[in-house]
Amino acid sequence: MQLGQTDNKNAPTRLLDPSVLSSLSNLELVAKAVVEGFVMGLHRSPKYGFSQEFVEYRPYAEGDDPRHIDWNVYSRTDKTFIKLFKGETNSHLMLLLDTSASMGFGARYSKLQYGKYLAASLAYLASRQHDAIGAMIFNDEVVQYRPPTSKSGTLHGVIHTLDKAEAVEGTAMHKPFTRFREHVKKRGLVAVISDFYCDPEALMENVRPLALHGQDVIMFHLLDPDELNPNIKESTLYEDMESGEAIEVDPIFMKQDYPQRIKAHIAAIEKTAKGMNADHVLLDTSEPLDRALHAYLTFREKRA
Amino acid sequence: MSLLSPLFLFALLGIALPIWLHRLQTNATEREKFSSIMFMEQSQRRVHIQRKLKYLVLMALRILFLVLLVLAFTKPVFFTALEAAVTEDTTHHVIVLDTSFSMREGNSFAQAVTLAEELVDAMGADDIASLYTASGTVETISTATADPAIIRGGLEGLEPDYGRLDIGAMVTALDSLITSSQANFIIHFISDYQQSGQAVRFADMIPDVINGRPVTLSIHQVKTEDVANWSVASVEITTADSIRVGLKNNSSAEQSVEKTVALSINDITQQSLTETFTAPADGISYISFENVSFDEGDNRLNVSITPNDSLPDDDTRYTVFDNSPPAPVILLSADPESLAVTYITTALETAPRGYEVELLDVNDFDPRILQRYPWIVIDDIGSVNASLAQELQAYVDGGGAILAAVGERTLGQASIPVGGQAIGGSLSFSRNTSYNVQGVNVSHPVLDGSVGWNNLAISRVLPIEAGEADNVLITLNNNIPFLTERNIGLGRFLLLNTSLNNTWSDLPVKPVFVSFVAEAARHLSNEELLVKEQTINSFLQLDQNNGASGQVYDPAGNSLLSLADTTQSQSIQLSETGYYRIVTLGRDNLVAVNPDTRESDLSIMDAQALQNWETMVAGSAGDMELVDGIAISVVEEEPVAIEIWRVLLILLAVIVLAESLLGNRYLRFNTGNT
Repeated sequence: MQLGQTDNKNAPTRLLDPSVLSSLSNLELVAKAVVEGFVMGLHRSPKYGFSQEFVEYRPYAEGDDPRHIDWNVYSRTDKTFIKLFKGETNSHLMLLLDTSASMGFGARYSKLQYGKYLAASLAYLASRQHDAIGAMIFNDEVVQYRPPTSKSGTLHGVIHTLDKAEAVEGTAMHKPFTRFREHVKKRGLVAVISDFYCDPEALMENVRPLALHGQDVIMFHLLDPDELNPNIKESTLYEDMESGEAIEVDPIFMKQDYPQRIKAHIAAIEKTAKGMNADHVLLDTSEPLDRALHAYLTFREKRA
Repeated sequence: MSLLSPLFLFALLGIALPIWLHRLQTNATEREKFSSIMFMEQSQRRVHIQRKLKYLVLMALRILFLVLLVLAFTKPVFFTALEAAVTEDTTHHVIVLDTSFSMREGNSFAQAVTLAEELVDAMGADDIASLYTASGTVETISTATADPAIIRGGLEGLEPDYGRLDIGAMVTALDSLITSSQANFIIHFISDYQQSGQAVRFADMIPDVINGRPVTLSIHQVKTEDVANWSVASVEITTADSIRVGLKNNSSAEQSVEKTVALSINDITQQSLTETFTAPADGISYISFENVSFDEGDNRLNVSITPNDSLPDDDTRYTVFDNSPPAPVILLSADPESLAVTYITTALETAPRGYEVELLDVNDFDPRILQRYPWIVIDDIGSVNASLAQELQAYVDGGGAILAAVGERTLGQASIPVGGQAIGGSLSFSRNTSYNVQGVNVSHPVLDGSVGWNNLAISRVLPIEAGEADNVLITLNNNIPFLTERNIGLGRFLLLNTSLNNTWSDLPVKPVFVSFVAEAARHLSNEELLVKEQTINSFLQLDQNNGASGQVYDPAGNSLLSLADTTQSQSIQLSETGYYRIVTLGRDNLVAVNPDTRESDLSIMDAQALQNWETMVAGSAGDMELVDGIAISVVEEEPVAIEIWRVLLILLAVIVLAESLLGNRYLRFNTGNT
C-alpha cells in the first residue's frame, strides 16, 4: 500500500483523522475514540480477537487481572482459573515512544502528537484484548519507564505517561533498547514509534538483540508530509531541531535530491527491520490512524 | 564642528529602534526549523549571506538617516579655518594708529600712515599683521593677515576724527580684541603721544599677557617735540549784552601771539577784535565783546580765532546761549493777598531761568488753559475742589506737573486732592511740638546740592501717609514726609507738607526756599536735563529730554532718527562738532558739541615716561619663554560659523531614496516567495 492511501473496505471514520483528534485534549478520550471508531468500522472478525467466544481456562498467574478469574470454577474447584476468549493471546505490549526534538516537527500537529495518539490507541486496543501494557519514553536518555502489566489502572497510567511526553533533546536508540533488554525478560510485542533519524546500521545493532531474545518488534516510522516531500521556492536556512546546526539549501536540491535521500533512508530502515524479522510501518502523519491499527492487529495476529 | 543645540543628541537613542526591528526581522524570517538536516546539502549560492548583507546595508542606511536627522536638529556649524597658519617664529604685528583729534595737527596723521606703511614693508615672510585705529574707541580695520596688501588697503582712506584718546582705555580695548590670538605680539603704537592721553594709573597702560604669549610694545612717535597751539577754551555770557572769551595757550611755555577773535551769533558775524594775547604755559587770556545782541530763544555763538595754527580745528568754539523770555507759570491761590503768594512769586521770579507768574484765583479757574503750561503751582492744595481736582489729575496724567503745598484749607480733609495721599489720624499740631528734618534725598534733581534743610523750624505739618507710588524726598522725625513726589501717568505731583506762609514753618523765608523753588521749577518743566554744551562722542539722553517724541538733527541738518526711533531711541551719540538741534513738541533746543579741550594740549609724554612704558610692557612678559617646536595656529578674528544643515538635508534626501529602493527590492524579493 502506498503512502496516503487507505483501504476502501476499512475506510476510516472521521474520528480517526488526526487533524480531528488534535482538537481533543484528553489523550485517553482520543484513544477510546480511535479504537472504538476503528472497531466499529471493522466487521466482526474472529481473526482480530474481538469476539467474546470462550476458548479455554488457564491457571491464574501473577500479573493477571483478578477481574478475569472465573469465580464459579473457583467455588467448585477451589482453584483460580482465568477465562480465555478467542483472540486473546495472553501476551504483553511494550510501547517505545521517541520524544527527541525532531519528533516536534510538524505543521499543524507534531509527529510526537501523532505518535502519542498511536501509542495511546495501541495501548487501549491491547487493553481491550487483556494484554499487559508497558511504556518507555525515550530521547537520548530513557525519560520514563513503565514495565508491562495487566493490572487494573495500567491503561490509565500508560496513557498518562504518554501524555506527559515532550519533544526535547536528541535521539539515542541504544539506551532505550539496552534498558528494555535489562528489564523485560518475558517475550512479547514491542512497538517502537519514532521518526528513526538515525543510522540504520546502528539501529540494527540495537534492535537485533531484542529479536534474538524473542521479542516481536514493530517499528512505526512516523514522517511529516513536509519531510517526505518538502516544497520550498527559495533558498532556505534550515536549522536542525536536535543539533541546532543550520544549513542553507536551495529549492532544486530539496525538490530533486532530498526525496530520493529520504526514500533511501526509509528503505534502509525497512531493510534493517526485515533483517531482524521486525515489521516496519511507514506512517505519514497526515493519514488516519486506522492503517496503523490494522498493521498492528495483523502483526499481533501473525505473532500470536 | 560645533553643535548649537547639542541636547538633541539624546535623540540618537532612537537608533536602537531600527537595530531592534532588524534583529527581530532577521531572527524571525531567516531560519526555519526542520526535524533533521542529515539528508540535506549546503547550497552552492549563499543567498542568505547576501540577503543578510542587504539587511545590514538597509539597517545602516536607516541608522545613518536617523543620525543625520538628529545632527540636523543639533544645528551643526563649521567655523572657518585659520587663514594663516604660522610657526613658532611668526610674529604678530599689531599696528595701532592714533586717530584722535590731536592727530589733525599739521601733518601728524600723514606721518603716522607713513610709519605704518614702513612697518608693513618690514614684515618678515612668516609674520602676520593686524590694523586698529584708536581714538574715543578702538576699531578693527584689518584682522590678522599675512598679506601686507590688505593692511595697506586698510590704511588708505583713514582720517583722524574728533575723539579723545585715553591710552589706558585703548590698551584695555586691545586686550579684549585680540584675546583669541596665539602668536607672539608686537604692538606698534603710532601716535603723537599726548601728555593728556596718558592713563591716570600707569599700570593701566600695560597690556595683559595675551593667551600666555609675550607682548612687546614698540613706540612710534610722529613728533618728538611740543607744538604751540592756541584754542578757544571758553565762551561766557557775563551780562545780558557782553561775552567773555578765553583763549588758551596749550603749550609748556609762555606764549604771546596776535590773534583776531571773531564772534558770530546765529551765523552772523557781530564783532571781530584783534589783539595780542599773552598767556603763561597752559594759561588763558581773555577778551570781552560788549553790546552784543541776542535773538530770542537758543542762540548759536561761534567764536573763532585767526590766523589758524597747525591745529585749526580747535580755533573755533561752538556755544549755545538760551535767551528765552521768562517762562509763564500759573500760581493758583484762594487768597491772592496772602504771604504765601508773595513768597512763591518772589522765589520764581528770582530764579536763574526766570518765570513770569500768572496769579489766578482757584475758585474762578478755567482748567482749559492748563495745556498751555508745562507746570503750575498751587499754594494750598486744600483749596482745590473736587471737580478741579479731577481736571488737575487729568492734566498731570497727560504730562503736566504741579508743585503744591498744604495749608489751612487742607486741614480736616481725608486725603490730599489730586495726589490722593491719605491724611491719617488727627492733626499733629501742638504749640510745644516741633519737627526736624531727618532725611534728605540729595540724589534727586530738586534737592541736588541744596543745604539748609536741617535748620528749618517746623511747627506744624499734616500726618500724610506716603503710599507706594510716593517718592519721599524729605522726611521729618516720626517718619512724616515733608516733601514727596508722585508720578501720575506721564506727569509729576510734588507736594510740600507745610504752608507757604511762614506760620507752619520758616521755610519760605529761608534761602533754601529760593533754590528749592528754582530747582523744582526746572525739574517739573523738564529743563534741567538738557545740557547745552557737550563734548564730542558723549551721549544725548533722548527719553529724558522728551526727544524720543521729536526729532534730532546733526550739525549738517540731517535727521538722525527714523520714524520708529522717534519713540524708541533712548540716547544718541554726538559724534560731530557743531550744533545739534532737538525739536520736540513746542520746544526747539540746540546743543553745542566741541572737541575735548584736552586734545588741544599737544604736549607730548616725556621720553623717560615712554621708555618706562616700553620697559614695563617688556617686563610683564620677561619671565615667559617663547614657545618652541609647537605648531601654532592663529585664529585672530571671531571665526565665521558655516551652517551645514542644507548639506544634511541633501544627504537625508539621498538616503531616503536609497533606502526606498533597497527596501522595495527586499519587499519584492519576499513577495515573490510567498
